[in-house]
Amino acid sequence: MRVRGAAALFGAVFGFLISWGQFSDPDRIRAMLLLDDPYLYLMMASAIAVASAGLWLLRRNGARAAFTGHPIRLETSRPQRRHFAGAAIFGLGWAIADSCPAPIAAQLTQGVAWSLCTIAGIAVGIVLFLRRQERAGAQAAKSVRSGSRSPRSTASSTSTHAIPRDSASTRA
Amino acid sequence: MSATLLHRPAWYVLGPLIGLVVVGLAATINERFGVLGGFSDVVERATGRTHALGWKSWLLFGVLAGSLVYRLIAGAPTVHHGYGWLTRTFTGHWQILAGAVLVVAGGLIGFGAKTAGGCTSGNGLGGCAAGSTASFAATATFMGTAIVVSFVIKGLI
Repeated sequence: MRVRGAAALFGAVFGFLISWGQFSDPDRIRAMLLLDDPYLYLMMASAIAVASAGLWLLRRNGARAAFTGHPIRLETSRPQRRHFAGAAIFGLGWAIADSCPAPIAAQLTQGVAWSLCTIAGIAVGIVLFLRRQERAGAQAAKSVRSGSRSPRSTASSTSTHAIPRDSASTRA
Repeated sequence: MSATLLHRPAWYVLGPLIGLVVVGLAATINERFGVLGGFSDVVERATGRTHALGWKSWLLFGVLAGSLVYRLIAGAPTVHHGYGWLTRTFTGHWQILAGAVLVVAGGLIGFGAKTAGGCTSGNGLGGCAAGSTASFAATATFMGTAIVVSFVIKGLI
């Protein structure tokens, strides 16, 4: 319960802040992507700098998460082909909609009805990804059952429960 | 108060505050920040792939609530007329095309971000802050792609 409460609280603060920063306005994002407005780049750089410093301090002091008691250790992974391919597809959609998942959610509760179209699309995209992943998993299982080696890894699972923290590769 | 909220704060105020949100999530529940996971969590629950909503869903619900609170206090949304270049380009009866384009763009966003392991917040904020080289690669790729595509769209319309 406390885990969900903390997630909701930090999500709410984030939703409020991105709305205040006007990231839910597609024209703001467009101005940034057309290199007319450096605001988002500077904001992101400073956010990453502060977050990196904060996370480094937590790890350095061996801190444990307040509500779970686990040592603070966030997942990292090395670049694979899917990171480049997926990010290119995502970037294409981002430039067309001039918005990404968090601002799209913010648009919804601000009463921007157009966000319903984008949200419907996101749901379809996620289902397509999950089906593709399930097909790959089924094929891999079939290969194992038939005694042959799996031709390729299917480690693109989005489940964070079955993957050890050190090797988890997807955090979507 | 509402007048203050209608103007975006300086980047050096907003950026560190958002950075602290990323740190706060790690400090309390030891998780990496990212919003697309909430969409995915809800979709997986709705399609019967999972039987409960996880913390990622609650993070998304929080984003929805936080934006609503902003809207109520500020007294105005951040999007005033139509939807950016799409509704300026597709007008009148053709505006339905803007909706169709947004559905397709949403599909690319959902499929692409799931494949890449995160969206602007998941890879760009949470992953980069955690020092994940995959997130740096993904962030550079989607930023570069989005910039190029934006200039292409500008050239076409």
